[in-house]
Amino acid sequence: METLKSAFDFSDFPRLDISIAGIIAIFLLVFPLFSHSAFAMATMIQFLMFSVYGMGWNTIGGYGGQVDLGKAQYVGIGAYTTAVLLIRWNIPFWFSMPLGVCLAMAWSFIIGYPLFRLKGHYFAIATIATSLVLMDLFSVWEFVGAARGLEISPIKYHYPDFWRLIFKKDIYYYYVILGFFFVGILYVNGFRRSRLGFQLRSIRDNEEMASSLGINVHWAKIKTYAIATAFVSVVGSFHACYIKNIEPQDTMGLDLSILIALMAMLGGAGSLWGPIIGAAVLIPLKSYLKAWLGGAAGLAGIDLVIYAVIIMLISALEPRGIWGIVEKVRRRRWQ
Amino acid sequence: MALLEVLNLTKTFGGLSANQDISFSVQEGELVGIIGPNGAGKTTLFNCISGFYPVSSGKVIFNGKNITALKAHETARRGLARTFQIYAASGDLTVIENVMVGCFMRTRSRSKAQAAAEEILNEFNLTGIGDVFVGELPVAVQKRVTMATALGSGPRLLLLDEVAAGLTPNEIEEIMANIRHIHSHLGIAVMLIEHVMELVMKVSDRVMVLDYGRKIADGPPRTVAKDPEVIKAYLGERFVREHQEML
Repeated sequence: METLKSAFDFSDFPRLDISIAGIIAIFLLVFPLFSHSAFAMATMIQFLMFSVYGMGWNTIGGYGGQVDLGKAQYVGIGAYTTAVLLIRWNIPFWFSMPLGVCLAMAWSFIIGYPLFRLKGHYFAIATIATSLVLMDLFSVWEFVGAARGLEISPIKYHYPDFWRLIFKKDIYYYYVILGFFFVGILYVNGFRRSRLGFQLRSIRDNEEMASSLGINVHWAKIKTYAIATAFVSVVGSFHACYIKNIEPQDTMGLDLSILIALMAMLGGAGSLWGPIIGAAVLIPLKSYLKAWLGGAAGLAGIDLVIYAVIIMLISALEPRGIWGIVEKVRRRRWQ
Repeated sequence: MALLEVLNLTKTFGGLSANQDISFSVQEGELVGIIGPNGAGKTTLFNCISGFYPVSSGKVIFNGKNITALKAHETARRGLARTFQIYAASGDLTVIENVMVGCFMRTRSRSKAQAAAEEILNEFNLTGIGDVFVGELPVAVQKRVTMATALGSGPRLLLLDEVAAGLTPNEIEEIMANIRHIHSHLGIAVMLIEHVMELVMKVSDRVMVLDYGRKIADGPPRTVAKDPEVIKAYLGERFVREHQEML
């Protein structure tokens, strides 16, 4: 009960923040009612998806300080679970999505147990490796379409299919992912002040001190890693129904993993609003780059160059991202 | 029955024995000071008792149970809290949040943890600074915060590792008041590693002296301070001359 209450309790934020967040929330709710281009709609959906990815990453990567560069493997597990079950057995999204979460979390426990014996850079590198291994496995696994991937053919279904999440109009997808977005914010808001949330911040501060306070550091990290995984897997399942065409490279590739981590780090790792701010900056940038340069953007690697520059700027100037700058300015004003 | 019983504890790092065949016990509510030259194995002893290091041989019995093989977080959950000599605060947690992490060991509820933390801050005279980030505080206050945090976990035995090192006399007075509160008022047993003799001699019920990993003396502060071996190994003749009135 207390947990549920604290999810809705934003009282420790300044009034200004709550007002701005409220205005943005209302804007997000009514956005589809305004006239908008298909491009704007697609960008908004991407923004919401990446916000939720980032929120998940933020639990372990931000509050826990464990830089995880392998989140894409769980996008893949979610996406493939939903796609395979829908295509082969016509099982709707609302069943396959929770199942995908269970599978992803199970996998996260299996690899999390050994991975969290590593620290710092070694941990980050190992997460990349596990994600790439899974991608390679899926690229040769015929059952899931190997490198060709899977395609959900919409012709078989009647629009709009709320059970299977097969829609013709993007507006339906928009509201589904917006729902996940709000649930995600509430969850993280409760999480950051829960016992586990406090324990993780203490772990980030000083692991020895944390364990002297009765915290099982290894287990707390594994648990949080599984929570982060659940977030990412839900959006992965959504991705399958929304994009309808999934390939190992798109859903499990390294650039997706890096993008997820980058969202949260740019916006502000370890803060509630950070991943949302990060996605709000990066996703339009990514979309416009793509629109502007066409397929060439990916080929030329310009997007990757820009991400690299951003990573360097964050680590050199302000490790706590955009939100860190906001807080610094504020503290200076108050003093 | 003693609260803590250490039997023939030995800890070796390769060929170096940092603790050699150390045995002692700590009674419920007792305050035991540990002194000795640098490298005598004082902090290693704490690390072995609290489960940060596996012991090479010997036994640690706490509250009647053998805790020798337990990990740090498990000994903490049985009521053995500690502070660290070097406190690396990156400054991400405020004072009250820090103490709450300690309190969360005993409860899942945030409101209970917060209430408990506020009470401890009150007892430690730290009330005004609850919302300040720990990293922004002077070292002396940081050390008191770590004591408060350790206390939050509700220990029966508290291991304090050089909480007064490098502090001014005034700050030492404040720390001493906190230690007395923990010991006399709350009745928690304390083991105290310290180089500040004024502090150790004043607050300890008993003092134990380590030298080259061995226990060379154990007894009431006055007796230990007169022990020729202790004077030779650690205190020095001058200390005894200058502190006649204290002893």
